[in-house]
Amino acid sequence: MRYGMVIDLNKCVGCYACVIKCKQEHFLPPTMEWGRVLMSETGTYPNITKHMYPVLCNHCEEPACVGACPTNATQQREDGIVHIDQNKCVGCRYCLIACPYQVRSFYAHEKEYFPGQGLTEFERIGAKLYPLQTGVVLKCDFCLERVDEGTGKGLKPGVDIEATPACVNICPAKARFFGDLDDPDGEASKLIREKRAVQLHPEYGTDPSVYYVIG
Amino acid sequence: MIQTRPYEFLVQYTPQREWIERRGTLMWLAMFFIELGAGAFVVSSIFGSLPGMLTGWLMCGVLGGGFHLLYLGHPLRFWRMVLSSGWKTSWISRGLIFVTLFLVLGLVHMILLQWAAPATGLLIAADVFAFLAIIYVGFVMNYVNGIPLWNTPLLPVLYLILGIWGGLGITLLTLPATGAAAAAASIEEWSRIFLLTFIFLAFSYLFGIRYQGATGKASVMAIVAGKWAPLFWTMVVALGTLLPAGVALGTWVAGLSIPTALVYALIILELLGDLSLRYCILRCGLYGPLIPATSYAS
Repeated sequence: MRYGMVIDLNKCVGCYACVIKCKQEHFLPPTMEWGRVLMSETGTYPNITKHMYPVLCNHCEEPACVGACPTNATQQREDGIVHIDQNKCVGCRYCLIACPYQVRSFYAHEKEYFPGQGLTEFERIGAKLYPLQTGVVLKCDFCLERVDEGTGKGLKPGVDIEATPACVNICPAKARFFGDLDDPDGEASKLIREKRAVQLHPEYGTDPSVYYVIG
Repeated sequence: MIQTRPYEFLVQYTPQREWIERRGTLMWLAMFFIELGAGAFVVSSIFGSLPGMLTGWLMCGVLGGGFHLLYLGHPLRFWRMVLSSGWKTSWISRGLIFVTLFLVLGLVHMILLQWAAPATGLLIAADVFAFLAIIYVGFVMNYVNGIPLWNTPLLPVLYLILGIWGGLGITLLTLPATGAAAAAASIEEWSRIFLLTFIFLAFSYLFGIRYQGATGKASVMAIVAGKWAPLFWTMVVALGTLLPAGVALGTWVAGLSIPTALVYALIILELLGDLSLRYCILRCGLYGPLIPATSYAS
C-alpha cells in the first residue's frame, strides 16, 4: 500500500482553497502553510497564460528527510505516509534542509493571528484539538488522522470524504485525487497511467508520491 | 518572459537559510569549533601537547557542543540524537556520537595523564573519534542532494583538511605553554603542506561544482562574484590563503625563519579564512528552482 496524490494542473484554478483548508484543518499558525500554490504567468498582454502549481509534501517512497532525522521523529508508515512525531523532534532542522522540495516548516515561536489582541476562538480550539509544539519541524501529513479514522470505519481513502485529505475534498475544480498508488484500479493510479502524470524533480531519486498531470 | 508570484523563492535559486540566518549562525559556529577543536586535539596528541589537547577539547565540547545545543529547538531532547537509532541513517546523529565518545575518551585520557602512565590505547581511541568528528560535518552536508554545492564527495575531504590545518595552527599557538618549542618547526612544515593541499582542494571543489549543472554554477558564482564575493576574496583568498602562502614561500626560498609574532598573526588569519569559507559555503548553498520554469512555461 502506498498512499499518493495526483494533481491535475489543467483543472487547478488557483483559488488557494487547498491552502486555506489545510491551515484550517490543522489549525496552522500565521505564516505557516503545509500546502502552497505557486503561480506564474507566461506570454505578453493580451496573450497571457496563467499557470498554477500546487505543492505539498511529496511523501516520497525514498524520503531524504527520514534518513536525515537524527531522532527518528520523522517516520514513514507502511502505507507510505511520512509524518513527524513532535515529541521526538529536537528541532535540528536537518530534515528541513535535506528535503529537496522545501516543503517543511520550522515552528519557532507561538504566533497569534492578531498580535496583542489575544487568541481567537479558532486558535483556542486549535490548541486543544490539534496542539502544535514550538521548536519543532512541521509538515503535511496527508491528513493521516482523517485517513486513519476513516479506514478504521471501513471507508476508502480517496473515495469516501471522511477518509480523504481535506485539500482533496475542498478542491472546487476537482483537480486533486488521492488513493493507493499500488491499487491499479484506483482513480489516482489510472490517472498516472492514462494521463502520464509526472513527479516533481525525479532526478533527486526520492520517488515522490505526488504526481502532476500536465498535458 | 515569466513573471511569477507570490512564491518567487521556489521558482528561482533558493538559498538555504536555516543553518546560517539568525539562530542558524550558531550552527555555522558549531560546525567550525567542533572540527577545529577535534583537529587541534588530534594534532596536539601527536605532538604531545597537553595544553593543545585541552584547548581542542574545550573548543569542541564547550564551544562546538554548546553552540549546537543552543541552536536546537528543544535542547533538552539532545539525548535522543545520541541514544535513538537515528545513527543508522543520520549523519548528525553519527556525528554527535563521535563527538561524545571523543570528548569522554579524551577527557579520561587527559585526567589519567596527570597521575598515571599514558594510556596509548585510550588516546588512539580518542583520536579516532576526534578524526571522525572532523569529517562528519562534511558528510552531513554531502547528504543534502538538493544543494549541489554541498552534495559532493570533495566536501568532507575539504573539511578534513581544514580541520587538521586549523588544528596545526591551534597546536602551534599553545606550544609556548608546553615548553616544547622544538616541535614548532615540524608543525610549521606540516602547515605548509596542508596549506598547499587546501589550495588544490578548494580550487578543485569550486571548479568541479561550477561545471556540475546550473544550480552548482549559480552557487559558485554567488561565492566568487555575488554578494559574498568580498568576504570570499578578502578573508578566504587574500588574507586566509595567499598571504600565508606568500610568507611561507618567501621565507622558504630565502631560507629565513618566520618571526613568532608573524606566525601567530598568520594562524589567526588562516582560522578567520576557514570560518569565512564555511560561511560562504553555508550561505551560498542554493536549491534549484522547485518549478521547472522553462519546460513548464512552454
